[in-house]
Amino acid sequence: MSIVEIKDLAFSFSRKEGPIINDFSFSMEKGEIVGILGQSGSGKSTLLRLISGLEMPQKGTIKIAGITVVDEGVFIHPEDRGVGMVFQDYALFPHMTVKDNILFGLSRVPRKERKQRLDEMLELVQMESFEKRYPHELSGGQQQRVALARALAPKPNVLLMDEPFSNLDADLKESIREELGVILKKANMTCIMVTHDRNDAEAICDYSIVLGKANKATHDLNRKPIQKIK
Amino acid sequence: MNLSKLFKPLLVGTALTIGLAGCAGTNQSESKGEEASKPEKQEVNIYTARHYEVDDEIYKKFTEDTGIKVNVVKGEAEELIDRIKREGESSVADLFVTVDGGVLANAKQNDILQPVTSDVINENVPENLRDTDNNWIGLATRARIIAYSKDRVTPEELSTYEDLTNEKWKEKLLVRSSTSLYNQSLLSSFIELNGEKQAEEWAQGIVNNFARQPDGGDRDQAKAIAAGIGDIAIMNTYYVGLLANSEDPEEVKVADSIGVFFPNQETTGTHVNISGIGLTKHSKNKDNAIKLIEYMTSVEAQEIIAAKNYEFPVNTNAAKPELLKSWGEFKMQELNFDSLGEHNQKAIEIFTKTGWK
Amino acid sequence: MKAELVKRNIKKEFNGWWMISLVGAVVILLPILFIFSSIFQEPNENWLQIQAYLLKNYVLNTFTLVALTGILTAFLGVTLAWLTAAYDFPLKRFFRWGLILPLTIPTYIAIYTYRTMLGYTGVVQATFRNHFDYRINPEWLTVSGIPGAVFIFSLFLYPYVFMITRAFLESQSTSYIESARLLGRKPLSVFFKVVLPLSRPAIVGGTVLVIYEVLGDYGVTSYLGIHTISTAIFQTWFRMYDVNSAMRLAAWLMVIIVGIFILERFLRQGRRYHLSNKSKPLAPVKLKGVSGVAAFLYCGVVFLIGFLIPLVQLIAWAILTFDKIWDASFLTLINQTVYVAVISTVIILILSVVVANITRSHSTFSFIVSKCVTTGYSIPGPIIAIGVLAIFIALDGVLAPVYSNMGLGEAPLILSLSLIMLIVGYFIRFMATGFNAVEIGFEKVGTKYMEASRMLGLGVTKTFFKVDLPLIKGSIISGFVLTFVEICKELPLALLLRPFNFETLATKTYQYANDEQIYEASIPSLLIIAISILSVVIIQMIGKRVKR
Repeated sequence: MSIVEIKDLAFSFSRKEGPIINDFSFSMEKGEIVGILGQSGSGKSTLLRLISGLEMPQKGTIKIAGITVVDEGVFIHPEDRGVGMVFQDYALFPHMTVKDNILFGLSRVPRKERKQRLDEMLELVQMESFEKRYPHELSGGQQQRVALARALAPKPNVLLMDEPFSNLDADLKESIREELGVILKKANMTCIMVTHDRNDAEAICDYSIVLGKANKATHDLNRKPIQKIK
Repeated sequence: MNLSKLFKPLLVGTALTIGLAGCAGTNQSESKGEEASKPEKQEVNIYTARHYEVDDEIYKKFTEDTGIKVNVVKGEAEELIDRIKREGESSVADLFVTVDGGVLANAKQNDILQPVTSDVINENVPENLRDTDNNWIGLATRARIIAYSKDRVTPEELSTYEDLTNEKWKEKLLVRSSTSLYNQSLLSSFIELNGEKQAEEWAQGIVNNFARQPDGGDRDQAKAIAAGIGDIAIMNTYYVGLLANSEDPEEVKVADSIGVFFPNQETTGTHVNISGIGLTKHSKNKDNAIKLIEYMTSVEAQEIIAAKNYEFPVNTNAAKPELLKSWGEFKMQELNFDSLGEHNQKAIEIFTKTGWK
Repeated sequence: MKAELVKRNIKKEFNGWWMISLVGAVVILLPILFIFSSIFQEPNENWLQIQAYLLKNYVLNTFTLVALTGILTAFLGVTLAWLTAAYDFPLKRFFRWGLILPLTIPTYIAIYTYRTMLGYTGVVQATFRNHFDYRINPEWLTVSGIPGAVFIFSLFLYPYVFMITRAFLESQSTSYIESARLLGRKPLSVFFKVVLPLSRPAIVGGTVLVIYEVLGDYGVTSYLGIHTISTAIFQTWFRMYDVNSAMRLAAWLMVIIVGIFILERFLRQGRRYHLSNKSKPLAPVKLKGVSGVAAFLYCGVVFLIGFLIPLVQLIAWAILTFDKIWDASFLTLINQTVYVAVISTVIILILSVVVANITRSHSTFSFIVSKCVTTGYSIPGPIIAIGVLAIFIALDGVLAPVYSNMGLGEAPLILSLSLIMLIVGYFIRFMATGFNAVEIGFEKVGTKYMEASRMLGLGVTKTFFKVDLPLIKGSIISGFVLTFVEICKELPLALLLRPFNFETLATKTYQYANDEQIYEASIPSLLIIAISILSVVIIQMIGKRVKR
């Protein structure tokens, strides 16, 4: 069973502008890391928002882990979709510690398990000693790791990442890219990553697709196997 | 759709709103409940349209003397009458107090008063200063006189209200707006005594002699005389007293510079208006209420009203302060105070027609 | 769109938050619609009288007041804004916020203060007579009639134009002004050719706020005996108990309001006056010598007349009458004012938060709701009061059988005469104040935290309490303070809608002034002013904290 199945997806922000996404179909298997490339305005981030439930498509269906989350008559709210997301600027809650940020998404997990998950996550992203810190006390790279840990903690069906490296310095990027790939495989996480940088995709993703420009009637769906991760 | 998502914010919001508003509402009903359950406390409730300090003083004295608590609610006369009427049997008002005979008549007409039987009161107050059925009792009177600049006018030049329309007073006459009940009652009295046509001619003549468009209250007219804007003004007697005894030395100077003239002494008499108190129809503290009326019409209280507010006492045994004594006795208009209310509507119409703003 | 699709779309948006918002919007719109409906009813005799003799006068006076005040406040506001934004001169930093202070003195307090102060027995004329042996022509100094009203309105309401224009000039127009300067234009030319046209949206926006205040005024116009539509609404209700005619007058006033609203849109040409947050601040030019002194004097005089002098006079009177006034009943007065203000503010803030939260989605529905909810601010108090009154009387009529069953007598006016009516009135009128503050807070925070929270499994409500609320705390507090103060200052609504025997600081002040107890009025006045000043200080403090 595909973990994510998208059929005939169409979306536009308003009737004046044309569709940003049109006739888009896609599916991926569990454990895969897929990159979505394309120039700005091609609808990459929009696609993520549609999958996550933060936007609603005009047409099409999306299934996650076999459950229809959106179609003609169905709309499941973001909080019920089991989708994790790391935002472009991380969106760590400024008024909560690292610990509380990570614990935040564990409300559906039984109390006893929560501490365990927290420790697991901290270890996974190697931020064990930063439990009590606040986001503004962390560097960019550290924030990204916490954001990742936070998103992974509830063990979502699929993880969405929106331009995960765009806010980091060039030097940092290389090392973090590698780390991220390792973390994702360790956690056996299915991941869709949006990026405008080919190198990011090549470094981490199993394969990637390219979204064409918005003013094109249809989108190219190129499954280019860029590289297989060891 | 998850019901709990709908419910929670809705419930919280609604509960809060109702709770808060309910608190606001109970303030009203609480007091009502108290009245109903407890036995008659030693108190009396007054709805008064008189906003004079001297009244509060008298109520305080009454409480000191008798131990009966006086609860005072101040408002506008129409508002109070309407309120008492609406409350009907459940009204907590025992007494209704107001200035102006027309308003008193209006209250009687609205069936919110009942007759007062008390020999003491009947002795204190002469018949012509009480309602014919004793639905209201007079408390004090004031005359609407002509004030004049001592420097520029001699009393010999003055005679009647009608004379004020004479051309010689062109641009010298000061009077307040027609929205004032005092002026409306003045005109009503003329309608009663001289007929509509003459009253309208009078109003027109006054307007023609305006020194300026009506501005401010009676005291402002007196100040305008001192300032030289006009030479004569129509105003109430007690304001002269208040000015003369003001804490503000400037106001005392103004009072010193004006003289008081009682018009129409040879003819129909000076216009006098009356303040009165009435017992409400559904009074719950009737005995206390009557006691209060008796006190307010007693020599003691009457002398205080006269001394502090410069109104004429209704009780003939009450001594008047120097200022009032200096004015001497004067002839009053002879009419039933009810007529002031009867012609009020017409008076307003005449004012509008003649352009008396 | 197919029915299923529509249902699904609605499902996405719809939740408890929406329902509360809709209820709020309905409550606010209903009185307004009621008033308009009165036009379609049969007029009674009283109305025909009014129409024949008086209506023209009311409209003329209203129009004159509005026009003159508008021009004068625009002039004051713009010149002062330009001076303090673009130039440096002695005490400019003080004037920058000091010139806002006249707004803390309500106009109904200013009018009686000035009229008494400048009157024949007031301090000015008396001093001249006694010490300088000079009799000032009293005609010059009389504060009366339309000129008097315009004077007061302009001096105490110009800060609306001042604040908005200055904020605009300081941040939005820098590049234009600096270009003009660099191109060698003289200051006056820069002002007329660049500054004025540029700041038109801000000037118009501020002036319209002033006009709304003037249209809804009762305190000043009734004190001076000027007959406007608003005073007529009062008289028709209070003196004649003619709710229907009062409603028709209110409808007329609404027509004027709509006209002004359209005019404003047209003049602003659709541009908004608060643009993005990112812009360069304007660097002020130093004024030397005579011009520096002139600027200082101009600002100084305005500040003196608009704030310092009335304040000092009020304090002087307060000292005289303090012992007489400050007693148990006065404390009750303060209690009552605070009580009703707090309840109303809480309700407003709760609803503001609810509505602001759903307008974050920026959908058409939510836009409509947010507009509905904020209309109350542009509607003068008397109109709202009449609308609310009419509805509640009707409501009481409908509920009459229920009342009689509960043993409350025949056709009593339970709802109409309770505090609920006043609270609803405040709610309608000041919802916009709370909402705007909260909305700005939400804008600053953005949606990312909310979205992150939802991705982590929390629904809209839980997200709000755990994430949004802590982050917009500052805005909620400032919204609370602003709304609370506006309610404390408000006069017409309180006069018309208060329950029997219920006074607020504002109504008490008005009553004292009208009973010619001017000195006594100073104490409740000072309390109101103190509350206002406190709010200005708090807002400044919060503003500074946010900037950090």
